[in-house]
Parts: sequence; structure tokens; C-alpha cells
Amino acid sequence: MHTPKQLARPLAQRVAGLNRPPPPSAEPQPIPTNVIDAALAALDRGETHYTDRPGIPEFRAWVADHLRERYNVSVDPAEVTITCGSTEARYVCLTHLVPPGRAVLCPGDESRIRGALHLVGARIVDSIRDDVSLLYITPDIYRETSMELLQRAEDEDWWIVYDLSFAKATAPFHPAQNPKLASRVVTIDTLSERMAGWRLGWMAGSEMALRLRAGKQAMTICTTAVSQWAGLAWARTTTQ
Amino acid sequence: MMNANPNIPDEVRAVAADGTQLRYALMEMAREMDDVIALGRGDPDLDTPPHIVEAAKAAIRDGRANPTPVKGMAALREAIADHMRAVNGLPVGADNVMTTTGGQEGLFLAIQALIDPGDEILVPDPRYSSYDDAIRRAGGCMVSVPTNRVEAFNLEADAVEAAITPASKALLIVTPSNPTAGIVTEDRLRAIADVAIRHNLIVIVDEIYGKIVYEPWRHFSIGSLPGMAERTITLDAFSKTYAMTGWRCGYVAAPADVIEAMARIKQVTTGPVATVSQWAGLAAISGPQDCVSAYLKIYTERRGVLLDGLDRMGFAYGEPRGGLFVWADCSSTGIHATELSYLLLKEARVLIFPGTAFGDAWREYVRITMLEPIDTLREAVERMLPVLDRYRL
Repeated sequence: MHTPKQLARPLAQRVAGLNRPPPPSAEPQPIPTNVIDAALAALDRGETHYTDRPGIPEFRAWVADHLRERYNVSVDPAEVTITCGSTEARYVCLTHLVPPGRAVLCPGDESRIRGALHLVGARIVDSIRDDVSLLYITPDIYRETSMELLQRAEDEDWWIVYDLSFAKATAPFHPAQNPKLASRVVTIDTLSERMAGWRLGWMAGSEMALRLRAGKQAMTICTTAVSQWAGLAWARTTTQ
Repeated sequence: MMNANPNIPDEVRAVAADGTQLRYALMEMAREMDDVIALGRGDPDLDTPPHIVEAAKAAIRDGRANPTPVKGMAALREAIADHMRAVNGLPVGADNVMTTTGGQEGLFLAIQALIDPGDEILVPDPRYSSYDDAIRRAGGCMVSVPTNRVEAFNLEADAVEAAITPASKALLIVTPSNPTAGIVTEDRLRAIADVAIRHNLIVIVDEIYGKIVYEPWRHFSIGSLPGMAERTITLDAFSKTYAMTGWRCGYVAAPADVIEAMARIKQVTTGPVATVSQWAGLAAISGPQDCVSAYLKIYTERRGVLLDGLDRMGFAYGEPRGGLFVWADCSSTGIHATELSYLLLKEARVLIFPGTAFGDAWREYVRITMLEPIDTLREAVERMLPVLDRYRL
């Protein structure tokens, strides 16, 4: 069963820039016992309803604490939204912060934002141009490069997405440590490296935090309740 | 339009001036208050049936929580396709099915896949306004199709056809409807299907309340009609039927090329549904269905209590034929719905939503859910009556 021809052609054009989804990894990923226990306990408590739309308060508080302790960055828990993996966080940020036709400056690996920007109707550039609206950086970018671009972001009022997902570098640098930039920086992270099938990530900070939260809510309402409780247990384990 | 009610204080009128803002303000207020009976949101108070929870727990214990393909687990897609063939009469196989992170994401993906800037989408009025964002983001234009209380908000093919222009691309149907609780009956759907085929419209149909339909009414799937499967996107979810809102697991049936497009979009917007939720969904759709009829019996009893209460209040309503709401006309009280919602929360500690949250014209309607135990619903009615008496014209 396929759509009538009049509908099929625009459909094919729309997704032409999106790659076919890769097959998932078959490698089993062991989950710590306390995380399993937390998930089972949540289900025993009846945590099967919608959570608070931006996420359970305990998890949002953990994210705010983590950013303060690890990066010396101050974010109110009300500015934190728990998402379905960092994939959702990235898409929500890009679709709300980058107008169609504008550009995202990405000095590093662009593979994680290419598809989302195709949907947004924006493009990726690797050098400074007049139509840049947002700087997308990760901790893997050379510090000197980041500092130069962040100075430009300050001058040009760009939005900044600082994506900690899957980052190998551990230096406690963060662009929101600069008070002149803090209100325009969104931090993204994920627990998918160890809990990929649970679909858990988050986005935090910026003066757009409440609009980003509404954007997530419009797509998926809230993130899976049992995943949030399991993720909270995992997050607390890593910070002990 | 009613004249201003002199019994309503000016400060209430000021707070209630913006219906959408008021909806959020009411929820914030309710959070700060004790002993509120919440009849606003659509989250079933009933628990997910034990056999579904146990299936999820077994998956967690056994380490079956690794990521799945973005369309969902093969076994779940097969089970959904079997179910939609047997129960809904849709001519689908697993290639025509994918899972989504709740029903709402299904609509988002369908709109992203099918709607280009400037395309018009016909939307029955009143509408589930949470879908507005997805349509706006795709550059789509909503065109309202009127429905009315006398017809129990049953959509008419003539009204659909009258709203069609050369830019019309799709028709969005929600049956049973949120917020009206009306259903689009089989005879009307047959006539609407003729219109859709004649004008080459895509039909996006949200059937998330399709298993919550009250006697003697029956749910009918427009995608089962001849010539419709290739142009129909059917959205459904486990959330309401099995009280599984927190699991965020829904599904879509559509032509294979639409499913392929939606999957590619999902890959870069949210990724696969949480694996544990998929195991829960598989237990729900392939396990015993007694819970569905048991829940329907509970909702039927609650509906009776709520309708009795609305009769005592002097509210008018179209017969609620399905879903978890009553959509009631409060104009007989002489109090605008926005003001009434505020007063009922402030003075009766009962949270309901004003109709303006579901369309600008519905200033005289309120949406009340039946998602509290029957004694609580009775108490809500008793709390509301004296407030109404105090302010009614």
C-alpha cells in the first residue's frame, strides 16, 4: 500500500536529505543493579502516569546541581527539561533558535545536527558568516577555537548550544561561565551512552528555557516516567 | 455573546481575559492549593494493568532494554498490525506500522512528513489545540470546519467540502473527539471519505480514544473504507486505553512510504520509543483485554454521575459518546467559561478548563474530565453548585 502519486513525490523530496536510520547496536549494555532496582521500585509505586511536563523535579534538581558543581554554572531547576534522549533536545533547540534560511556555525562533527537542520530549513557552515544565528559546539573542540568563536558569539548575539553528549573531554570548561553569554547558552547532555534504550537526555538554561520546554511538550508531552526514575538513580551513582 | 455579568468581580474578569494564559494560570494555581479536585487534564487516574507492568519489569530484570530500530520492535509492529487488521479493519501489515513516543508525536511526524508551507489542513472546531504547534511549525494553515452541540459535534461531509480550497492538503479528524467527546459516526465517515477521495485529501485520524466509546455507539475507522488506506494516517496510543500515559508509547498506521518518511524524521527528532515502554505496549496489545472493558465500565458510571451533576447545574451538552470528557455549555449561568473556571478553582477548589483553550469562539463552554473516582466526582458537583448559585444571573 502506497500513497497516490501526487502525494508520494513531495514526500520523497522532503526526506531526501535524511539518511536511512542506522541499525541499532546489538551489544548488550549492562545496567547497574541500583538503576534496575530504581526502575522496578518506580513501577511498584505506580509511576506510570504523565510526570511533570518538564520532568520529575528530583531529576531537574540533579541537573542544576550537576552544572553548578561540575562547571560552576548556575541554572534554575525550572530551566531544565528532561527529554527523550539528547536527540530531542537538539531538535527542539535548533527548531526554536534557528530561523529557516539561517545558518548554524559548527566547527566540529556536524553529524548529530545535520538531519534536524534539514527539517528546520537551516544550513551548517564551518566558518563565520553574516547569516549565522547559532553556534553549536562540543567539549571536543580545541579550547582556542572555542574561545575565539565564543567571543564572536558575544559580539553577534548568537545562541549557543553546548552539547556534552558523548563528549570525551572532561575539562570543566563551559561557555555559560561567561556571564555575558550565560542567558544565551543551552546545555544538552544524555545518559544514552550507558542507557541508550531508555531514551533520556536533558536541556538546561538560557532565557529561552521556558519556550524550549513548551516545544518539547508540544512534541512528546513528557519523557517516559520509568526512564526518568532509572536515569536519576544512574545520575546519582555517577556523582557519588 | 453574553453581556457582562454584574455578579463577577472586576479582578476575576481581568484574570480570565486570556483563555490560553488562564489555562496555564489555573494549573499553576491548583498546584499551590490544597485539596483541589482536578478535572482538567486528560491523565487517567486508573493504574496501568498489572500484567502490563509485570511485562515491563521482566524486560528490565532480563536486560531487554537496549535500543530498538526507530520504527519499533518487530514483534510489536507485527502485533499492532494484527490488531489494527482485526479490530479496526485496516488493510495493514508491519510495513505500514511504526511506534511513536505517545500519540502526540504521531501527529507531529505526520505533519512534518506531509505538510508543506502554505498547505491548508481542515480541522474540526473546537479542536485539540496541542496539535497547533506541529501544524504551525510545518508552515501549514489551519482551516476550521464547524461542528455543533445539536449534532453532538458529529462532523458533516458537507461542512468539510465547503471548507476545501485549492490549497487544501489534509483533513484532521479526532474521533472520539477531544474536547467534545463526540464521535464521527460511520455514515458520516463514509460521506467524508467520498469527499477526501474526490478532492485528493490526506486524512489524518486520531483514534486515541477509539476504545472508550459508550453504548450504543461504535467506533469506526475511516482507513478501513475502500480507497482510503492509501491516503489515511491513523494515529493511536496505549496511553488512554490502558492508562499508560507515562510510558509514552503510541503507534501509527499509514502507507509504507509515509511510514518510511516518518521514521527518517523520527530518527533525527526523538529517536526510538523507550524499549521498556515497547515491551509494555506489546503486553497491552497482545495480552488479555478484560482491563479495557473494565475501565470502560468505570468511565460509563462516572459519566452518568457527571451528566447528572451538569443537569442540576443547568448546563447543556452534546451527548458525550466517547472519550474521557464532557464538553458543556455554561451560558445558562450567565458566567463566561473563563470566569467560571477561575471562580470554581478559587472558591470550590475544582479545576476545569475553559473552552477557549480549544478554540477562540468557545467562551461559553467548559471541558470537564471524568478522571477521578466516582465519589470525588460527586463531591466536585456538590462543591460547584453553591458557587454557581452565588454568581449565576
